[in-house]
Amino acid sequence: MQDLYTENKKMVLSVNDLPTLPTVLDEVTELVQDPSSSTDQVAKVISQDQVLSAKVLKMVNSPIYGFPRRISTIQHALVLLGFNVVRGLIISTSVFDAMAESMMGLWEHSLGCAVACTQIAKVAGFKDPEEYSVAGLLHDLGKVVSVVQLPDVKKQVDELVKQKDMSYYMAEKEVMGFSHDRINAWLSDHWNLPLRLREGLVWHHRPKSAQHFPDMACVVHLGDFMSRVFQVGNSGDDQISYLNRYVFKVLNLNQSGIVKILDELDKEYADLSGFRPD
Amino acid sequence: MNKEKHFFLISDDADLYQNFKDIYTQAQWTVFERGRGAIELIFNNPPDLLIVDNKLQDMGGMELIRIFKSENVYRQVPVIICLDIDDLTSELNLTQIEVDDFLMKPLDRQQTRIRLDLVLARAAWELDASPLTKLPGNTSIIQKIQDMMDRKQNFALAYADLDNFKSYNDKYGFSRGDEILMMTARIIVNTIRAFAGMESFVGHIGGDDFVFIVPPDQAENVCQILIRNFDGIVPNFYDPEDRERGFIRSTDRKGSIQDFPMMSVSIAVVFNIDGELNHYGQASEIAMNLKKVAKKSPGSAYVLDRRKSS
Repeated sequence: MQDLYTENKKMVLSVNDLPTLPTVLDEVTELVQDPSSSTDQVAKVISQDQVLSAKVLKMVNSPIYGFPRRISTIQHALVLLGFNVVRGLIISTSVFDAMAESMMGLWEHSLGCAVACTQIAKVAGFKDPEEYSVAGLLHDLGKVVSVVQLPDVKKQVDELVKQKDMSYYMAEKEVMGFSHDRINAWLSDHWNLPLRLREGLVWHHRPKSAQHFPDMACVVHLGDFMSRVFQVGNSGDDQISYLNRYVFKVLNLNQSGIVKILDELDKEYADLSGFRPD
Repeated sequence: MNKEKHFFLISDDADLYQNFKDIYTQAQWTVFERGRGAIELIFNNPPDLLIVDNKLQDMGGMELIRIFKSENVYRQVPVIICLDIDDLTSELNLTQIEVDDFLMKPLDRQQTRIRLDLVLARAAWELDASPLTKLPGNTSIIQKIQDMMDRKQNFALAYADLDNFKSYNDKYGFSRGDEILMMTARIIVNTIRAFAGMESFVGHIGGDDFVFIVPPDQAENVCQILIRNFDGIVPNFYDPEDRERGFIRSTDRKGSIQDFPMMSVSIAVVFNIDGELNHYGQASEIAMNLKKVAKKSPGSAYVLDRRKSS
């Protein structure tokens, strides 16, 4: 078992080609070729794609740039990398087969979670909503990586979800002995992501375990739940995630705050539904 | 700028000397037949490039290079070793003597010329680049500015430095101070590239002092965006409690508590329009005075030189 764990970890960390969906990639490609594009425009588009966002953050936090673990928003990353580097990243990013239905669902769910995290952070009165949005966007990155690096495992997990009607999270545990939150931990450390992001990525299923930045873990935990309630996209199962009441205490949210978030999301998700390419 | 380069060759091979002179006519060549005698001379009067024949009568070429390169003051002089085909064994390891490149005898005309050009260019670049940010340093900066002045080009020359960098360094330590400088360099480079494209230049004087050159009509815009970018990013480099507070609180040796604001950037911009400036010293003097003005305002600020109603 231990050997398998190490083997899986090695496979996961050796990921060097993380494909994404063509939609956003095409849009970013167009933008970075136009010299009149602003950083803000490009950041806005990249922020809709978990794979591109992850690549940009991995790059800017790599030791080569000299300030690992410091940068957690796409806007800042783009200022520090510059268009040249971003162009290079875009060129070397491949695409998933456009028909990869499970990827499409996951992508939409991630975006939905990012949107939810932004609203939750705003209502909770946090200063920098963009950081929470990034954590929400990347919270299921471990699933994307396992699709690419551990395709056989992924098949087994899907099978189990169907057969036993269990959550993807539990099925991962049963098949691999760990789930995507563990993969997120490996990736965060391997890619020198800032601790705040790491907390959101690693503890979104177990917010009480986040020791350093419980606010991050709680926002993503609730964001994940909300995007499932609204059925935005698909994260591998058709279940509502377990909601830990602890998050309301940490985020200092009462009934009216929650209603406010739900109202906002109602509007936001209506806009989002037109976004999906056919 | 284009003053004649001085090359020394240490070799008793008269043909080799003649070949070098024929191949690279734009340098002034001096030849020494013996290694021992040459050492003192090159110590006293280092050339722009030293070429050593591995086969010297009185000592090994490698030994001579080792003696020369082991002193930090001479390390900047590029050194090339000339090898015969029989020197190439699996034991040969040139990295031990810090030699910059090697050439094979007999010399190939084109290859030799290209090699020499490259070695010189690399040496000039490496000598002057800031070890931390790899941006061009003082010598390149002065050369660049003087060159633009001589050619009567219009440009805006900006001096940027950080406020409260020292207190950050004192509290967080040097290696985190270096992170700030790396970050600042990236912001300046990218902000300027986005606006001014290839007509721009960024240099790192040292410490937290940077300069950049942009077309005059872009200067104000660049300063504004630069400040916006810096102010947005710099809080990430503080620990959570300081970031929350918005300033650093530190206790000095006497036990008294002092508060320092977050780092900000001050920029002074000097314009050279219609060739009104003709010496680098003028520009830096004006800039230093403007900098004092920029430093007076709390937070990030830029000051443009408006001596003329341009």
